[in-house]
Amino acid sequence: MKTVTINPVTRLEGHGKITIFLNDEGNVENAYFQVPELRGFEKFCEGRRVEEMPDITSRICGVCPEAHHLASTKALDAVFHVDPPPTAKKLRELLYSAFYVADHTTHFYILAGPDFVMGPSAPKAERNILGVMSKVGLNVGASVIKHRSDALDVVGIIGGKRIHPACGVPGGVTKAITEEERTRIEKIAESEVEFAKFTLKLFDEVVLQNKEYVSLILGETYASKTYYMGTVDEENQVNFYDGKIRVVDPEGKEFAKYHPKDYQQYIAEHVEPWTYLKYPYLKSVGWKGLVGGKDSGVYKATPLSRLNAADGMATPLAQEEYKKMYETLGGKPVHATLATHWARLVELLYAAERMLELSGDKEITNPNVRTLPTATPDEGVGCVEAPRGTLTHDYKTDEKGLVRNVNLIVGTTNNHAAISMSIKQAANGLIKNGDVSDGILNMVEMAFRAYDPCYGCATHTLPGQMPLDIKIYRQRIVTHHLRRP
Amino acid sequence: MGDDGLGIHVVRMLKKKIPAREDLEFKELSVGGLKLVEEILGYEKVFIIDSVDTEDRQIGRIREFSPEQFKATEQSSPSPHVLNFATALELYKKLKPSEIPGTIRIFTIDIDPDFTFREKLSPTVQEAAANLVEIITQHIEQL
Repeated sequence: MKTVTINPVTRLEGHGKITIFLNDEGNVENAYFQVPELRGFEKFCEGRRVEEMPDITSRICGVCPEAHHLASTKALDAVFHVDPPPTAKKLRELLYSAFYVADHTTHFYILAGPDFVMGPSAPKAERNILGVMSKVGLNVGASVIKHRSDALDVVGIIGGKRIHPACGVPGGVTKAITEEERTRIEKIAESEVEFAKFTLKLFDEVVLQNKEYVSLILGETYASKTYYMGTVDEENQVNFYDGKIRVVDPEGKEFAKYHPKDYQQYIAEHVEPWTYLKYPYLKSVGWKGLVGGKDSGVYKATPLSRLNAADGMATPLAQEEYKKMYETLGGKPVHATLATHWARLVELLYAAERMLELSGDKEITNPNVRTLPTATPDEGVGCVEAPRGTLTHDYKTDEKGLVRNVNLIVGTTNNHAAISMSIKQAANGLIKNGDVSDGILNMVEMAFRAYDPCYGCATHTLPGQMPLDIKIYRQRIVTHHLRRP
Repeated sequence: MGDDGLGIHVVRMLKKKIPAREDLEFKELSVGGLKLVEEILGYEKVFIIDSVDTEDRQIGRIREFSPEQFKATEQSSPSPHVLNFATALELYKKLKPSEIPGTIRIFTIDIDPDFTFREKLSPTVQEAAANLVEIITQHIEQL
């Protein structure tokens, strides 16, 4: 058996190592994604005051601190048995919607979009935001940066800071917003809706009108059938901030719908000795290994999964785009991993529309933004949809509110098994009879990138990228050495 | 955690050492790429302090870089999750050239990114941090 290993040499963006095993014919037999990085939050938070958790856990990630901050704050609501007033919930959701706009914009234009705008075979030097701007114009780049920055301004207005907002407290938020702030947010939201519509139009022109790209999206190389998970409201529509967790099977039928506090009745975590990251799976279906299908407990929690698991979007323009997406791709559920990028843009529009709805809500400037907790703390679960998957914070405390136990299922953790499977599939399509194409690095990464994975984002950015190193062995001799420093 | 938090430790040491000035601001950040660049826009001079790990690691080694020294990483394939600093800086040079600081200096200390969790720096890195504080203090006093 031959081994192909893609192994980063630094920890700068979070560790990940891809190992591909070839059989004697030189075709892919197995591929594994290993995470040798350990962050340790679940352990070193023990003994700390539970009220610190929203600020501590927001440092798990420098890109999506808002997700952890709000999941943690909701866990505190549960730990202290307190229900925030309506305005507090709306402010939290408004902040979160703004964050989603910034995050999804960043991912499409700057991280994954270049694959499509420039093309997956374009030279590396062009396949980035700078290449995108050279193709679609500096004006588009300026608009991307402006809308992203405006959305983060909204986070700053409500959360106190653009980065690592600090407004979440058990029972509410730390401050109300003024009418002047509300007006400013509303104006930003109007612009974000137009920007989201423009982005979907750009996606249509650049990607959907390109037969080669559509073929890539719908091809077998990037398709895998699994269960799909997302949070839904009472109408089974996508909701990022609150609701019940809904899971559908690979045929799209509802498999489970539960309150987040009951997650351990539905989700178990499988451990492998060769990776620090666990594999969550559906308990009643069981762990059958890194395989898909109805008989395997592997599930995905991604933008596409959320749309697969829901019956629609709660805002009108996003709902139209949702319908268009499924009509184009042949109905629900969609198993094409690369369609995640399209789903992400439907969500971008939903988040912008939700910003507009909430900022225009009469209650949003109500000064009553907190219900003080009075109960003795014990345990609680808080759950939100992080951009890259369902995020669960589960805390247990003593009667003084000191943390005894923490369990976190981070967005990307849900997808660990699916990512491994996607990498294997991509490798299967590329490595034949021992011949390795030059595009293997990027094509494997495209499978990986669609999930927008976050393996405990490191915060160092000098130089700040995930290095990949592939060595191809045949009969113990290195025949190819592909490396991205 | 541990030596990973070097930048924050050095900034806190500098805040204690240097008297408050209207023209001086300290920031503690746990971000990278785009957000890091966005935090430095509009300033005249910026010092960035961070821990690093490289192939020729020498724990406690202090080095100073300019952004130009990372030019080679600028056109690299994107990370799956974060745009790197060099590319983010180049992006903003094209889009907001007047807001890019005239001087950006990057100070690093080599660490061993092991999995030991602690709130303080290891002894070797602590000593290097104290030396770096002296270096940066002199730079600031010359501003």
